[in-house]
Amino acid sequence: MSALLDRLAGEQHLPADDFSDIRRRAQAALMQHGFPDLKTEDWKYTPLKLIEKREFSTDETTAAALPELPFQAQVLHFANGRLDLDTCDLPAGVRLEPIGRESLERAEYGDRAGAFAWLNLARFEQGLRLVFESDQEHPLVLALTTSENFAADVHPRLEVEVAEGVSATLVDLQHNAGAGLVNRVVDIDLARGARLNHVIRRGGGDCAWIERAVVNVHDDADYRVHVLDCGGRLTRQDLRVHLLAEGASGEIDGIGLVDTRQHIDYHTAIEHTVGHTKSRESFRLLGDGSGVGVFNGRIHIHKGADDSHSDLNTANLLLSENARINTKPELEIYAEEVTASHGATIGQLDDDAMFYLRSRGIPADEAGALLKYGFAAAPLEGTEPVEVKEWLQAELKQALV
Amino acid sequence: MLKITNLHVTIDDKPILKGLNLEIGPGELHAIMGPNGSGKSTLGYALAGREGYEVTEGSIEFEGHDVAEMEPEERAAAGLFLAFQYPVEIPGVNNAYFLRAALNAQRKARGEEEVDSMNFLKEVRESLRALKMDEALLKRAVNEGFSGGEKKRNEIVQMAVLKPKLAVLDETDSGLDIDALKLVAEGINRVRDDKRSFLVITHYQRLLEYLEPDHVHVLSDGRIVESGGKELAVRLEREGYGFLEAAEA
Repeated sequence: MSALLDRLAGEQHLPADDFSDIRRRAQAALMQHGFPDLKTEDWKYTPLKLIEKREFSTDETTAAALPELPFQAQVLHFANGRLDLDTCDLPAGVRLEPIGRESLERAEYGDRAGAFAWLNLARFEQGLRLVFESDQEHPLVLALTTSENFAADVHPRLEVEVAEGVSATLVDLQHNAGAGLVNRVVDIDLARGARLNHVIRRGGGDCAWIERAVVNVHDDADYRVHVLDCGGRLTRQDLRVHLLAEGASGEIDGIGLVDTRQHIDYHTAIEHTVGHTKSRESFRLLGDGSGVGVFNGRIHIHKGADDSHSDLNTANLLLSENARINTKPELEIYAEEVTASHGATIGQLDDDAMFYLRSRGIPADEAGALLKYGFAAAPLEGTEPVEVKEWLQAELKQALV
Repeated sequence: MLKITNLHVTIDDKPILKGLNLEIGPGELHAIMGPNGSGKSTLGYALAGREGYEVTEGSIEFEGHDVAEMEPEERAAAGLFLAFQYPVEIPGVNNAYFLRAALNAQRKARGEEEVDSMNFLKEVRESLRALKMDEALLKRAVNEGFSGGEKKRNEIVQMAVLKPKLAVLDETDSGLDIDALKLVAEGINRVRDDKRSFLVITHYQRLLEYLEPDHVHVLSDGRIVESGGKELAVRLEREGYGFLEAAEA
């Protein structure tokens, strides 16, 4: 057993609640498989040694501050990973309840590649189920922030359900000032004709952030996610979108910026399980300093999922000698009458473009920021509503200065 | 305004300009012609300050400053402009944003206030109209998806908005049809006055018919080998560069 596993799961007691049988099953699976290492295919570019020496402490931490947002929204603040249910204020048409037993019993995360999800199932402190029952005028923001002296490991667990025909915008805002571990599991379900605009904005800190999100998209439902990551000591995002019925569509757009002592790993999968489904995915990674970025995007069009359409592209920019980006788009097609395309590029800032901008009077650092922004911003183009898009664009611009 | 004395420029240690002398006064329009590979574009890039174009001897004085020591953006703020022979595409950066960023950066460097948005847009629109360019181009990425002619005209739009003291136009007429050539010439003539100066690099006499240059120079093997009035351009068009070699021989 690794030292990390020992500290995170070894001698600590599991939370005592009605789920103790489920937690024991998860703990047993975790102990049996262990944590992933570099020989685990899905983790081969993301060494856990980045956080191996970390001591996790549950010492009292100060309250985490809530960042200000430039758009009107209802905010649920998960301070240091935990939502205060007594003070949170929900908009009409949104229900929040404790997570149910049924889905936990069904949870299955396989071998060591799913170790963190097993760890979450064994150790989650607060499991919540968020239900959108009617259309929402404003975005709902889940702000998970950690304070500077935060050093704990927390394992939030969330289920999101968007009811039939309902449209909503959910903003996951994750701001880390601390140095602990946030290991989150999110399960999202879109009923017939539902639409979810999902925005994930993460940034900063020494905190390790590991998230596994699974999205089930039913008939004619539409899931769109826009991800903007600016730094992070270790960020690992698993995102699986299952297109389960005709007319379902899924779109993933993401931007990841890494600099020295920053590591971001995206593992995405879009599963076209039936025909007449549509997906699109676009990612931009920018590596500076000695930062490391990983992108593994898989589109899987299952047997019989005829007349499915998919497009996957990833473009990457290396801004320094020592930055590293590992990118791999994967397309697996077992169906007929399919249109699918994929592409990957890696490049550097264009000297000709730099000189062109400077010859017009724009100083070198500003010209560099402009070119980086021009390269990176495309995935934000389709973000809705427009005030959220402008917020993300401003955040990206700020991060590239 | 511009005084180039005994200019030697190398690229990767290869000498390209080999003792070029040129003086341009306020309000003057000079044309430089010359065979391929004679160093015309090198002169444009050396003036604009492109990396890799090393001045090994001689000097470039612009408004009394030695520009060899200045960064490209400092030269631009001082009033130097280069219209590129091959304008560069800048994906993801829209034209309007780029133009405003450029103008404001120059104004800031000169200690001036930022440009007023309304006036700025009004002026850009007028320049676009004059060059018969669609306003929708403002929202498109710089030069991306532009036709060859649109790219060249876009250089003239930038020049009109940035109002340089000296504009170096590197083969802005190449690849233009006759109508576009006229528009470009009109675009240049519109901003001419008794202070603004131009250095027009071209292969063809046709543009010069519209521009009426004060001086025409022939560049050959890194040096100006012949200077004259606009009649020199007519003679070059008729006889080619052969007569120069004949004269040297």
